[in-house]
Amino acid sequence: MRRAAVIGVGQTKFRTRRDDKTHPELTREAVSRALEHAGITMDDVDAFVFGTMDPFDGINCPDRWSSTAAGFGKPFMKISTGGTTGLTTGIAAYQHVASGLFDVVVAVCTQRVGENVDAQPVLNTAVDPIYERHSGVGAISVAAIQATVHMQKYGTTEEQMAWVSVKDHENALKNPYAHIKKKIGVEDVLSSPVVSSPLKLYECCPRSDGSVAVIFASEEKAEQIRDDPAWILAESSISDSYFVGDRPDLAVWDSLSIAGRRLYRLAGIDDPKKDIDVAELYSPFTIQEILELEALGFAEKGEGAKLAEEGVTFVDGDMPTNPSGGVLCTNPIGATGLVRLGEASLQVMGEASNQVDGAEVALAHAWGGTLQFHALMLVSSHKKLRR
Amino acid sequence: MKVGIVGIGITHFGVHEEPFYNVAYTAARKALEDAEMERHEIDNVVLGGYDVSVGRTISNMYTAPAAGGYLKDEIRVSDDAAYALALAYMRIKSGIFDVAMVLGYGHCSETPIELVELLSLDPFFHRDLGISYQMSYAMQSYAYKMKYGVEDETAAEVVVRARKRASKYEYAHVREEVSVDDVLSSEMVIFPLRKLELPPWSDGCVALILAEETIARRINPEPIWVEGLGWNTENYYMGSRDLAELSSTRKAGEMAYRMAGCDAKSVEAVEIMDLTPYHHLMALEALGFAADGKGGELIESDFPTNSSGGALCTNAHGTTGLFLTANLALQIRDGCDRGISHAVSGYAAQNSIVTILGV
Amino acid sequence: MVLRIEAKWEIPYVHSAGEHATKFFEALKEKKILGVKCPKCQRVLVPPRAFCERCYVDTDEWVEVKDEGVIETVTINYARFTGLPDPPYAVGIIKLDGADTGMLAYLGGVDLTDWKKAHEKLKVGTRVKAVWKDRPEGRITDILYFKPVEE
Ligand SMILES: [Zn+2]
Repeated sequence: MRRAAVIGVGQTKFRTRRDDKTHPELTREAVSRALEHAGITMDDVDAFVFGTMDPFDGINCPDRWSSTAAGFGKPFMKISTGGTTGLTTGIAAYQHVASGLFDVVVAVCTQRVGENVDAQPVLNTAVDPIYERHSGVGAISVAAIQATVHMQKYGTTEEQMAWVSVKDHENALKNPYAHIKKKIGVEDVLSSPVVSSPLKLYECCPRSDGSVAVIFASEEKAEQIRDDPAWILAESSISDSYFVGDRPDLAVWDSLSIAGRRLYRLAGIDDPKKDIDVAELYSPFTIQEILELEALGFAEKGEGAKLAEEGVTFVDGDMPTNPSGGVLCTNPIGATGLVRLGEASLQVMGEASNQVDGAEVALAHAWGGTLQFHALMLVSSHKKLRR
Repeated sequence: MKVGIVGIGITHFGVHEEPFYNVAYTAARKALEDAEMERHEIDNVVLGGYDVSVGRTISNMYTAPAAGGYLKDEIRVSDDAAYALALAYMRIKSGIFDVAMVLGYGHCSETPIELVELLSLDPFFHRDLGISYQMSYAMQSYAYKMKYGVEDETAAEVVVRARKRASKYEYAHVREEVSVDDVLSSEMVIFPLRKLELPPWSDGCVALILAEETIARRINPEPIWVEGLGWNTENYYMGSRDLAELSSTRKAGEMAYRMAGCDAKSVEAVEIMDLTPYHHLMALEALGFAADGKGGELIESDFPTNSSGGALCTNAHGTTGLFLTANLALQIRDGCDRGISHAVSGYAAQNSIVTILGV
Repeated sequence: MVLRIEAKWEIPYVHSAGEHATKFFEALKEKKILGVKCPKCQRVLVPPRAFCERCYVDTDEWVEVKDEGVIETVTINYARFTGLPDPPYAVGIIKLDGADTGMLAYLGGVDLTDWKKAHEKLKVGTRVKAVWKDRPEGRITDILYFKPVEE
């Protein structure tokens, strides 16, 4: 397998609306910053991979317009897989390089959720129009039904879930690109209005506009370009069945466990708690970080809720999660997964805005569909896992 | 290491009463049966198709399990599924995967695609002008026709030949034969394109199973090898382009020929995504089969283009290109040594992808 | 000041349910819920589909399941979203007696004003029964909601 690494990361500031720029202009902002971070120019780029979730921006296939800022005249491919889009775009760009067809490839994701007056009806159109769409189910409700089961089965409390939000909000204060920047406490979360029971407003992500670009390079190029690239150790993804009613047990995210097993096997990880230093997880709702920690082996089943409460997942804890502030504070849906990879890469480069001390191995995750998809990537400051 | 096609599954193209979840399943099943394989032998699925055109956000939620993706690695290209084949090739070539199910889906009968495509234009400069997808192809046709003085009869002849070939291709959508007179006397829909010079909107799915060389030979002693791939993108702003030529197709072709180490001379079969008869000629020129403006001369000869009838007869938005690639694969199975397939997407053929298959 | 343009998408769609699901909807007219049994894993899939995603085989053995079952999970929506039902409304996954998969449906017959009290009445594992429209039309909304059964 041809080795590849992340050599540059660029993000725009994420806001509810970015009225100052058009779609391609936002794309350009992220691409330019990533090129600058890598210290290369557009001429050095062999191909682009673009990710977005189509209907959110009010433009169908906005990649066609946005490609004017992402190197037209070059090979350009568009990926869209739901919430996992950002990370599958990264995976596709990595595969462009790993295949040997290209040496330097830019993955870029732009999403303007804020241009959409209300994102939930769009998410509802992802639900089957024949059997399920009438139910009005969107992303919040599918997370809420996970929470209901987890609370009843394992006794997870509202306070424990609130701690996840407190931690992410504290982290976001250090991230110049984060959308929501507000110091909050457990009481603030608990007293915020219930959106979809048992989830409250401060347990739910915002809708964000913005763009992110991550540059991948072959081993040879990566070493020429920078001293500290973020080496890709492994990637994996998974699709579950279509109907949400088919999930065997909503209290566990077993499809993520399966994808995680594959990832760990590829990277040679025996004990994720020991081998992974930091994780950027796709948790737009508090309960999901808890489920993800359990599914990925950072906590025993039913124990995930204790981690934030006990400080384990805070930036100075044993297993920091979402030092960027995570998806709870910034969610440009189809770009979010690539933000996770970008932040994970910056952690192992030692350049993150909320740096975890000595981070060498970082995990990036995204989920999508109605709890149907997962994507994972693992990056490291070393070419191979070092224990 | 080579990557080969070992299974081909094509559904009927036309109007499907079944949801494309079932149509996709049918195509994937056919491909597995063709390869004499089971679902568990696939290690990943690579999908290709659009969302808004089929009325479902994240339409791969629907097609991933249908393509056999239950608990498998999955990814989707939101473009013509010919891109999905290129991505599957890279996933295998990199050594990450061994066997991929590539599935393309198009389902045009449930919504007006012209309206969906109009919404792909930016809401500031273009959308308000109401330029339809087909109008952009008509403008390109006209620019080409005027630049090289292409006769109406030549364009009509392209349609006549396409229909004749489609009449013999079991999977094609529109299969009635027509005469040059029929074409020329059909109503002018979008100048300079007449009714019979426009493609249909079709429903259908295509599945191709790709495998790493050693495994491919185990499955089938004579796999169809993916020899070359190339893709490229033109400027979105149509006003900034020379509409009389398909430059993204030209660049895509150059990349594919370079990768395959061959040129147009060694190609025995050509499948072109001709959304208009003029695009048929322009693509032949961009791919090196004729000099600029001389594509019409090939039509008079027995040059083997579009034995499927091409996009003029079958056009399932999202998988038209992969439909053509699948037909090319069938021709190679029937004894052709090397062939090329082509697909475009976006207004005025902004994006192009080219695939070279061989023995 | 930058220019802002208001836009609204109105795209008509006509979705075809296909032969399989049509049978299910025909049965709803008689207040019956049908599932299909996978010939391989023997699971009864509700709502029915033409193939089992796990076993990858066609499914054509129809079985009637009860319009009664248990709540697998539930949430109550209190926020107003454009184009979605008026809040509050409860949605859950119900595993019907005789089915091996859950079905997304509304839950009702319970006061939703206070979410904690409502959740007490709609606990995971609670038995529920369908409340039907008087004159079913062969649509999924023929089942108005599922409501807890008094034990
Ligand atoms: Zn089964």
